[in-house]
Amino acid sequence: MTRRILSGVLGVVIAFVVGALIMLIEGFEPLATYGALAQFSLGGIGPLATTLKNSVPLVLTGLSAAIAFASGPVNLGQPGQLVFGALAATLGGLYISLPPMLEIPLLLLFAIAGGALWSGLAGLLKQAFDMSEFIVTLMLNMIADFFTAWAIAYPFMDRKAFSPMTPPIAQSGWMPDIGPLSSSVLLMLAAVAVMWFVFQRWRAGYEWRITGQNSLFARLGGCDVRGNFMAVMLVTGALAGLAGGLVVMGGPHRFIKGLGANYAWDGIMIAIMANNGLIETLIYGVFVAAIQTGALGMELITNVPSEIAQVLQAVLVLVIVATREYAVVVFDRLAARHQAKERTT
Amino acid sequence: MEDFISLEHIVKVYPPSLLAVDNVSVGFRKGEIHSIVGENGAGKSTLMKLLYGLIPFDSGTVKMNGAPVRFHKPGDAIAMGIGMVHQEIELIPQYTVWENVVLGAEPVRGLGGTLDTTGAIELVRRKIDEFQFNLDPSAQVERISVAARQKVEILKLLYRNVSVLILDEPTAVLTPQEIPQLFAELKRLREAGTTILFISHRLDEVLELSDRITVMRKGKKIATVAASDTDKGALAQMMVGRQVIFTSKRTPHRRGDCVFEAKGLCVARRDGLKLLDDVSFSVHAGEIVGIAGVEGNGQFELVNSIMGLRTPSSGSIKVNGREICGLPILERRRLISFVPQDRARMGASLAASILDNAIMTHHRLEPSFSAWRGLVLDYRHARAFTDELVRRFSVQASSRQSLFRSLSGGNQQKLILGREFLLSTPFFLMDQPTRGLDVGSSEYVHGEILSMREADRAVLLISADLEELFLIADRILVMHRGQIVADLTTERTTIQEVGRYMLEGKRTA
Repeated sequence: MTRRILSGVLGVVIAFVVGALIMLIEGFEPLATYGALAQFSLGGIGPLATTLKNSVPLVLTGLSAAIAFASGPVNLGQPGQLVFGALAATLGGLYISLPPMLEIPLLLLFAIAGGALWSGLAGLLKQAFDMSEFIVTLMLNMIADFFTAWAIAYPFMDRKAFSPMTPPIAQSGWMPDIGPLSSSVLLMLAAVAVMWFVFQRWRAGYEWRITGQNSLFARLGGCDVRGNFMAVMLVTGALAGLAGGLVVMGGPHRFIKGLGANYAWDGIMIAIMANNGLIETLIYGVFVAAIQTGALGMELITNVPSEIAQVLQAVLVLVIVATREYAVVVFDRLAARHQAKERTT
Repeated sequence: MEDFISLEHIVKVYPPSLLAVDNVSVGFRKGEIHSIVGENGAGKSTLMKLLYGLIPFDSGTVKMNGAPVRFHKPGDAIAMGIGMVHQEIELIPQYTVWENVVLGAEPVRGLGGTLDTTGAIELVRRKIDEFQFNLDPSAQVERISVAARQKVEILKLLYRNVSVLILDEPTAVLTPQEIPQLFAELKRLREAGTTILFISHRLDEVLELSDRITVMRKGKKIATVAASDTDKGALAQMMVGRQVIFTSKRTPHRRGDCVFEAKGLCVARRDGLKLLDDVSFSVHAGEIVGIAGVEGNGQFELVNSIMGLRTPSSGSIKVNGREICGLPILERRRLISFVPQDRARMGASLAASILDNAIMTHHRLEPSFSAWRGLVLDYRHARAFTDELVRRFSVQASSRQSLFRSLSGGNQQKLILGREFLLSTPFFLMDQPTRGLDVGSSEYVHGEILSMREADRAVLLISADLEELFLIADRILVMHRGQIVADLTTERTTIQEVGRYMLEGKRTA
């Protein structure tokens, strides 16, 4: 455990040093840049609240990827599931208007169902025709992308707008703010807590974990491997769909072109950084959100382009993963050498 | 006599802390057959791999003719005349014998460096004649027997003019009839001046073959003795550290009702070849039925058919009178406990904790593991269950949260055995339950299997180890090319008879 924290922290430090070197080569001030980055992401209630809000889609799609990867199914369809969830929530909000106490849960349910529908389709194709979910989910991303683009440019387009987007959803479906904090952050934390409980305490979660580690053992042990596969596909699709719903309901309150952005790919990357740990996904998700949030502010007061944040992010992933793997080797080798010395003296 | 090769104070630690070879010093003389014996995990293979340069050691020195040498890769060792034949045979099955032998050191001619085919065949033939190996250089490797393939492996090294041969458990893949032939060949090699280092844990073989024997236990060298000065009991005691009983502990036990019954079981490959051919047998309560046979004669398909990984093309399997073909695996597990051959692939999840491995199947079959109508696992109960399992089957583990991977092979098997034992099913299927276990752990497993028999459970034991079958089985069935060719009562047969059935099947027996 302490080793895991140590290698994680070490990875982050090395990544920042590498990032600083890149900035020096480009002729920027690393310290001032990092200072601005921190100031606009963590310096005070406002920036902190923004960082947390921006972390919502990253953490939820990261959670989706982490659970999928740790349970076996290679669900890489978070981008498509996210936009489907977002579209479902938007359509609900366009045509249904209820008091907020009913409207918000209903739209969230729509989002969850939208995401689960899209991942469930991939799951069904796997079960019926043994099509690899790896390639199917990737391809469904494209279809989801173009389908939603068509939906907001034709049937559900806002005629008054200059670019493809839907009209705004009913105001009762907007995620309320609690002081400076968006309530979607609370929802995200609740999702992490629930999924942790399911994964670590439910019988299904136990079977998911074991199946992810060794599916033949799970199958011979009497686990319902096929049923679990479908369940994991549906749950992880639902999480990505929820991310999409919250992006709409907490942000522009309508489906605008390019809404999915890079959230889901970043989320998958975060799951990889977190080695599919659920709590680690939350931590790294907030961390990446801080960098992305700070980068926008940094651009305002320094002349460093915000793209440097993307460079930093890429370096982070590589260095953290490499450090984690290599730290194990180094720790083990040190222990071995120590013991060998003890035996001969 | 001077030591030709000497290992001095060799230490190898497998990261992070497995002390595989613990300060071992041993010398080998020119032209002797020197056996390294020890239980599994005693470090004998590791020691030889260190000498061969396959894995690096952490401290110590290797000397040849008194001068220190260090091999960083097997190629270095071969260049100095040391070669090793591994447990698994590593040949290209589609190639002929001579092609396999010269591969990597082919004779070439001309400027372009074309393969000198006739020259190569001639070279290989000369080597075969020199050592009287009785091989056809043009035979395709996939068409020759396992024993012949092993000879090709040895030939490969002799072709490279190796004068020290390391053989890692070469008899493990051979039938009883093939072993004397190998030994005769090894003795001929010794007469020709080759030094042979022979790894084994079969004491009879070692005593018959070797000049000197080094015994290892838990990474340490216990002693090096002349084979003429020792006997089986003394070696076993050095290997295990205490006395070992080789006679059966089987006491007479009344056979109960029929529990397991296979009838006319057939499994066919897509091309029509019958992997299981009309297999019928039964196992009664309080009876241990052994299945002997060279691997690949249908045992794998039989296990998979019973467990539900493969659907037989015809026939039936009944447990307690209930037809299980077509039942989902979970339903079968109510009736069948299963200890698989491959612990890491089928018997456990290496990356999961001891607890997670201990509760598998129980978590589904026993209501006491569930809360909230089966939605949530009762971890308090699971912890108590795991502690009880670990205690009762004396699994050596630092904590129930430590990873299964961190357990030794013997303790892994104890955990799996205990888990399956506690399932309280009428039928017990065990596939090579002592493979890879040391003498002490094997003894323990045998004791547990016998106590299942006492508890009137029906046990089907598939084993490649004939000694094991003779030790604990009541009846021995022999499988050959997918058929049961013999149904023998242990008391009224011999290892030789079983071995003959294994090799030749029904007709000639």
